Amino acid sequence: MINQSQTLRALLPGDALTGGGIDGGNKAALAEIDASCRVPVLFFFLSGLAWLLAGTVLALVASIKLHTPGFLAGWEWLTFSNVRTAHLNTVIYGFASQISVGVTIWLMCRLCRIPLVAPGLITVANLFYNLGVTVGVGGILLGDSTAIEWLEMPRYATPILFISYALIAVWTLVTFRLRAERHLYVSQWYLLAAVLWFPWLYGTAQVMLLIEPVRGVVQAAVNWWFAHNVLGLWFTPIGLASIYYFIPKVIGRPIHSYYLSVLGFWSLALFYNWNGMHHLVGGPLPAWMITVSIVASVMMLIPVITVAINHHFTMVGHFGKLKYSPTLRFMVFGAVSYTLASLQGVASAVRSVSEVTHFTHHTIAHAHLGMYAFFTMVMFGAMYYILPRITQREWPSTGLISLHFWGVALGIVLYVVPMSIMGFIQGTMLNDAAVRFLDVVQFTLPWLKLRTLAGLLLAAGHVAFVLNVGWLLVRMFEPYRKPVVRILTGEAETVAAGK
Amino acid sequence: MSVIAFILLGSVVLLPAAGLLALRWATSTGQFRCPDKAALLPFDEVEPVGLETDRILGGNRR
Repeated sequence: MINQSQTLRALLPGDALTGGGIDGGNKAALAEIDASCRVPVLFFFLSGLAWLLAGTVLALVASIKLHTPGFLAGWEWLTFSNVRTAHLNTVIYGFASQISVGVTIWLMCRLCRIPLVAPGLITVANLFYNLGVTVGVGGILLGDSTAIEWLEMPRYATPILFISYALIAVWTLVTFRLRAERHLYVSQWYLLAAVLWFPWLYGTAQVMLLIEPVRGVVQAAVNWWFAHNVLGLWFTPIGLASIYYFIPKVIGRPIHSYYLSVLGFWSLALFYNWNGMHHLVGGPLPAWMITVSIVASVMMLIPVITVAINHHFTMVGHFGKLKYSPTLRFMVFGAVSYTLASLQGVASAVRSVSEVTHFTHHTIAHAHLGMYAFFTMVMFGAMYYILPRITQREWPSTGLISLHFWGVALGIVLYVVPMSIMGFIQGTMLNDAAVRFLDVVQFTLPWLKLRTLAGLLLAAGHVAFVLNVGWLLVRMFEPYRKPVVRILTGEAETVAAGK
Repeated sequence: MSVIAFILLGSVVLLPAAGLLALRWATSTGQFRCPDKAALLPFDEVEPVGLETDRILGGNRR
């Protein structure tokens, strides 16, 4: 029988397995782990950020078209339906998923306490991934959308993406198998589950909707089962895994209750999978299917409250540190937004509320509260922590960090709050037979202009972040720079800035 | 139809079974036995409990 450490020693270069640890076992040095992650994590982060910029432009075009329909009207490949769909797929699959994978790689290596293994596997996954997204988004803009929400990429793009997802899942399992730390941290539970759940979700939905389509309304059921679970079983676990790691790490304090964190994970695994059908309230499905989904949605209060209590009590006494740590700012903003988005989601699942809000901008606001205010903010926070470590360089500009945070924080608040209110009013107007449809449309116009303004704030934040990342990379390629130790040690006054 | 049946079988039987196996593995290997120890896993000798590891804003930078 091969000893695990012997296997690792055969796989890893040099003396990677030095140093003690909680178990007294062999563990790799943090710096070596970070260095081993540099190239693949940077690949995923940089390609993700490129897709973020593309998705931001597409979002702005779509937003402007909603209140100024003549905008770019002469370009047939930029019709609202094409642009809006390309935006969604660009930011979900191009940006958010790639940043998720980058963060997952780094967290798994750190928590398994081994340098990155099989870098070739993860690099091939990245290449396949970007090829798949490019083909998919290009196909959407050329009019090849499948018109199935969250699965709009044409059939010829999805096998490429599936190969990538499968390779990422295999890599994560290999890393887990070779881990030097035998005990699992709660973040690893979330990450392992996410990388296994997503290929299953994606593969199942592809087969049941595109390759061998099921009939009639079952398609709608499968569609919403997939679309809702992408949020809850792919992005949410990775977001929560990040929060559970980075908040304690930044403030130097263990999480308030490890028991609660495990309870949160298993209750999410138990209840979330059932949630999707609450999007079909009023639809021609068996009532019990929708009712089960509503009940499961309300049961989601258990993991949500569990997570909220844990995060809050971990932070108690440390809120002053928000002033100094960009990672903490983004993480806490994301954690609070997770609670709010989940509570809004539970409320929206209830029949009487859904009947008002479902076909309105309220749903769009809710999606952005979850995907942006929660998940994207957490991913920004994670990148602020990871990038200096894998590049061994400090962030070049604190001004750009502040511009990024305040741009996106104000932008998303200005987006979500008015759109939630407007959507609710829009829903009551739509349900009133005495109100003309045109009056409803005209009512939304000023609110939609406010949405474009919010989008411009978000875009400014994105540009600031990308500029800072670019500047960081330029510094990385400078001939020699003494390693900056402040972030790594927390010693705020001992910056080594010399060459 | 056979592909659909395979997927449904996989979803209904294999995934919950995998979840139960994961839970059994976790309990048998003591993953839930020492919560205080597990909560310390993000920390080590280089970055121990009590050390802030991200303090870069606040006026002492350009």
